[in-house]
Amino acid sequence: MKHKRSFFAFILISLTVVSGCWDKREMNELAFVSAFAVDLNEEGKYVGTFQIINPGNVAGGLQGGGGQNASITVYSAAGDNLLETEGHVSMKVSRDLYYAHTNLIIISEKVASEKGITELFDLFERAREFRTTTNVVLTRNSSAEEMLSVLTEKDKIPAEQIVNNLKGAEESQGEYQKITIDNVINSLITSGNEPLISAFSIKGEPKKGTKMENIQASQPEVRMEPNGLGVFKNGKLIDWLEGETARGTLWATDKVQATSLNITWKNKKDAIAYQVVRQKTKIAAQLKKDRPKISISVRAEGRIAEVSVSSDLTNPHTLAAIEKEVAKEIKEEIEKAIYHAQINKSDTFGFGDAIHRSHPDKWKKIKSEWNNEYFPSSDIEVKVEAFIRRTGLRTNSYLSDLEQ
Amino acid sequence: MEKAQINLYQLFVLLVLFELSTILAPLGIAAKQAAWLSILIGMIGGLVLFLVYYRLYCYYPDVMPTEYMQILLGRFLGSVLAFLYILYFLYLAARVLRNFGEMLLILAYPVTPLFILNAGLVVVTVYTVRKGIEVLARTGELFAIVIFFLAASSLLLIVLTGLIKVTNLQPMMEVGMGKILETAFSETLMIPFGELIVFTMIFPYVNVNHSKKLRKAGLMAIGFSGIVLAFTMAINISVMGVSIVSRSPFPLLSTIRSIEIAGFLERLDVYFMMVLIIGGFFKFSIILYGAATGTADLFKIKETSRLIYPLGFIVLMFSLAMASSYPEHTYKILHSDAVLFTTSIPFLVVIPIMLLVIAFFKNR
Amino acid sequence: MFSFFEHSKKTSKNYSPEPLPKTIKSSLSDNLALLKQKTGKSPDIIIRSLKIGNQPKVKAAVVYVSGIVDTQTINEFLIEVLINYKEKPGNEAGQELIEKIAEEVVSVGSIKTETEWSSLFESLLSGNALIFIDGAAKALTAGTKGGEKRAIQEPSTQSTVRGSREGFTESMETNMAMVRRIIKNPNLWIESIKIGNQTRTDVSIMYINGSAESAVIEEVKKRLKKIKIDSILESGYIEQLIEDQTMSPFPTLYYTERPDIVAGNLLEGRVAVFINGTPFTLLAPAVFVQFFQASDDYYTRFDIATATRFLRAFIFLISLLGPATFVAAITYHHEMIPTTLLIVIAAQRESVPFPAIFEALIMEVTFEILREAGLRLPKAIGSTVSIVGGLVVGQAAVQAGIVSPTMLIIVAITAIASFATPSFAVAISARLLRFAFMICAASLGFYGIMLALFMMVAHLCSLRSFGIPYMAPFAPFMPGNLGDTLVRIPWWSMKKKTQLMNHKNIQESKNKKSQSLKT
Repeated sequence: MKHKRSFFAFILISLTVVSGCWDKREMNELAFVSAFAVDLNEEGKYVGTFQIINPGNVAGGLQGGGGQNASITVYSAAGDNLLETEGHVSMKVSRDLYYAHTNLIIISEKVASEKGITELFDLFERAREFRTTTNVVLTRNSSAEEMLSVLTEKDKIPAEQIVNNLKGAEESQGEYQKITIDNVINSLITSGNEPLISAFSIKGEPKKGTKMENIQASQPEVRMEPNGLGVFKNGKLIDWLEGETARGTLWATDKVQATSLNITWKNKKDAIAYQVVRQKTKIAAQLKKDRPKISISVRAEGRIAEVSVSSDLTNPHTLAAIEKEVAKEIKEEIEKAIYHAQINKSDTFGFGDAIHRSHPDKWKKIKSEWNNEYFPSSDIEVKVEAFIRRTGLRTNSYLSDLEQ
Repeated sequence: MEKAQINLYQLFVLLVLFELSTILAPLGIAAKQAAWLSILIGMIGGLVLFLVYYRLYCYYPDVMPTEYMQILLGRFLGSVLAFLYILYFLYLAARVLRNFGEMLLILAYPVTPLFILNAGLVVVTVYTVRKGIEVLARTGELFAIVIFFLAASSLLLIVLTGLIKVTNLQPMMEVGMGKILETAFSETLMIPFGELIVFTMIFPYVNVNHSKKLRKAGLMAIGFSGIVLAFTMAINISVMGVSIVSRSPFPLLSTIRSIEIAGFLERLDVYFMMVLIIGGFFKFSIILYGAATGTADLFKIKETSRLIYPLGFIVLMFSLAMASSYPEHTYKILHSDAVLFTTSIPFLVVIPIMLLVIAFFKNR
Repeated sequence: MFSFFEHSKKTSKNYSPEPLPKTIKSSLSDNLALLKQKTGKSPDIIIRSLKIGNQPKVKAAVVYVSGIVDTQTINEFLIEVLINYKEKPGNEAGQELIEKIAEEVVSVGSIKTETEWSSLFESLLSGNALIFIDGAAKALTAGTKGGEKRAIQEPSTQSTVRGSREGFTESMETNMAMVRRIIKNPNLWIESIKIGNQTRTDVSIMYINGSAESAVIEEVKKRLKKIKIDSILESGYIEQLIEDQTMSPFPTLYYTERPDIVAGNLLEGRVAVFINGTPFTLLAPAVFVQFFQASDDYYTRFDIATATRFLRAFIFLISLLGPATFVAAITYHHEMIPTTLLIVIAAQRESVPFPAIFEALIMEVTFEILREAGLRLPKAIGSTVSIVGGLVVGQAAVQAGIVSPTMLIIVAITAIASFATPSFAVAISARLLRFAFMICAASLGFYGIMLALFMMVAHLCSLRSFGIPYMAPFAPFMPGNLGDTLVRIPWWSMKKKTQLMNHKNIQESKNKKSQSLKT
């Protein structure tokens, strides 16, 4: 019995100690990829660009360093598919590329409009290290490689700054949306819903942005800014949405988190700024004689943020009138966006999906022709309710005292 | 038979842990949005099957199935059948082990040989099972607490993150009732509910003064775990959408991965891993224990614990040899008609019902 | 310690070269000669010869061992009264005289007549005085135990914020008296035996009759009686000889030096084993949660006590799994660390020359060295060690780039955690297992940790302490007994006594191996 037990223990120890360690990777054997970008070169091959974090220059503190050297290094290589670009890059990097902390995938305008994004995502979904909650962003007016090479001043890792910028824009502007790999795939496979991907562009000369001097200045010459929403059809980029059209689209898809809009009051343009605090959009779809009828109802709540004409804001009737104006404004935006989309013949709103949910059987028939035939001709009814809940720390503006 | 007793609560816990280990897999996803419905239907079938096993237990509450098979069918035929059942349990154990190893391999250990991962579990299981059903049951009680906290906290996190989109569950009847029923009876009834046949080997150890209480505990455990499984599947679909769920071998992993709160409570893969290991451990140990105690009873071996070493080794080897790839493995489990009609249906449904009929007439 | 043990074993082989004669003789000189011969004329054996009575004077002797007797008692109540005894012995032989002396003369509390040498020697060596009278084949033993003792002091290993400041001493009588003072109940019963062929150590078991389960009492007695060993120097000997399973890193008996803890456990139905010569008293049966409870918990309010107990469970997990989890996370599961944290750790590890597991092992071993070094040193030097250790290990190692600061933090937290467990016995087993966990983590990551954890939990679940499952009341789950485990419910809601020690839960120990050492 005693021998058996020690034999057992021996097997156990040899199992754990001697045999283990296949998947062991020390941290200083890894190159953490913070962002990955896809582009096309002249020959039509994919170019993969990898933004790799230099931890020592990011964390600083310990060695007293940081700030002196670039916090990232960018590598890129061409290949027939994405995995091949990785293979070519890993020859240049002294460490294993590691993707579990990649939180940004950049797709260049060129890939999106020429080759389409349909076949790009399998690797990201299949690979163990990639997380499908990674954000996806398009470039506009620049190559993906340039975009990844620009150093940023606030977040030391540029990929993080892009994501945070986008998040900020989403939460305050209502013209952009964060979208993850999951979302993109889900939109690509459902024919009743086309993806909307936010785009970034570089302000200034991209080459300068790769130097440390750029971010040492108080006003960096080169910056990255969110710039429009890319509209897709059959996986290809066909159009950009900007400003009110973009916001109208997001209103209709229930994606606006907070935004502000200006309305005309007492014949003065942009006299009152209304800030949306929360909103809820519901889409109901019906089929009447194979003609889709979509009704959108939007409910927005908010407050008055800025007033430049005198008006009696203590009076509920005034507020009710302003509410009506706001609702009209929102409705116009939405209708404009829908009109735009119907011309593009691309259902970015998920109306098709709504029909799929309410009429699963009929949907199978109209599915393939949805974008080209049914969507552009569908009846769309928009109902908007807007509420003003409060008016801030003052009731009436001092402008009303000025008038008296 | 080992001299040991477990109480009803312990039986309940073991049943639930056994059932819930399948929580990771895309159960009944062939029914698309109605996967949860097919799980519930499977569960009802499972309850009926459990009642069959339970009635058999009622006729012979103190002896192992390996023994009452001999009483019912005669010495020779009964022994052969009992032996076949033991082989079936070994096959089940190997299947669970293979699944477990493959999941770990895909999830976190892409380079480690399957043998090492499987052997690790076998070593720990053998160590535990050798100590008997009592220790296994007590270990289960402790880990049930862990599972409970994992489940509660992850559910809370998923709800807090606002990931649930009910629209993803519509349209419910995408595939039609026929397909839902087919999925329920060919997949979810067999796995995980039919596999409960292993517990017939454990019922004789349950210390109960009134056998009705055992029925109650069993029905409650199956009902509870069925509802949890269905609920989990519904959450998976509502978070990820049908398409992604049906394309992932472990939808729960993707669901857990999408939790992101306050920029810090994210990357909770470890949750999934703990559920995987705890579930895998208990399912595997219970089946292995069933096989071992059955063998000991059939061949009149006094010390069950000695049997565990060779059985563990056989199962380990079989688990490595049973399929050449993971897709082949899952295909064999879920979609292969040959496996369904030669093993699952006869061993889980037909033979128990037949035995019950014989027992009914013998004991009239 | 080791050589000492060896020595005692050797002497055991040529112990008592000649057998002791069974009974004493009536001749005083013969008896005294034998005494001298048997004790090797040791100078601490004092033989005071005197003559008592009047015409004829009878020769007598008082024998005692200096140092372990109360000299004052001997002088005043034995020697003085004997010398002043001037009655005529008349024709009475020594036999009657000795009884008369016992009944009428000597005024000490306990007095006995003995005829057998073996019990006389035992009595003499445990501090009694012997009175021999010429012509009597009997001797008197007078209870004169005494000598220098340590005063009752505050316990050093289990100090509390609130609660009694009394701690046990080395004297068993004092210790039992302290418990008696707390529980004034005639049902508090004590049984005593002597263990150890050479040390003849007094061992007493104490329990509350009616409260303690008789099966447990019988089991304790049975196991104590089975012990065959030369010497018992500390309660640790008894603990290791009567525990259910020796092959386990976990303690299945609880030891304490606080009378209030003993009293509380006796009231819960446990059995206490007192060993003379040590302040540490054993309590049986012990369950795992017990080692996370401190006497403060019962004295502070229930909410605070409950929170503290959860904290302790958490502390135990840290001290068990802390470094292992860290090693697993940074060598296998980088994806589970939040990005910003990962970058910080990665930046620190850039220049570290060792693999993470090696780094962790170095630091852990260094810490154990420091602890061991500081443990046995006088306090003044001890603080020097900790300063040097802190400087060298902390500052210098990081600055030299040998270890990363994060690793240092982890090891330091673990070290502190291992001291925060109330019971040293469990803390030390966690420290031992920590290394096993670290190795598992280094070879298979979290999977390795989980496997090791399963083994540990299965092992814990298989343990029993005197028939009670070690993990009770969690496994097997006993809902009625959860009031005083990791939570402590308020006193008013603890309606009935915990049923943990109920006979239903007691099972025959599976450990059939003899627990005795062959001498």
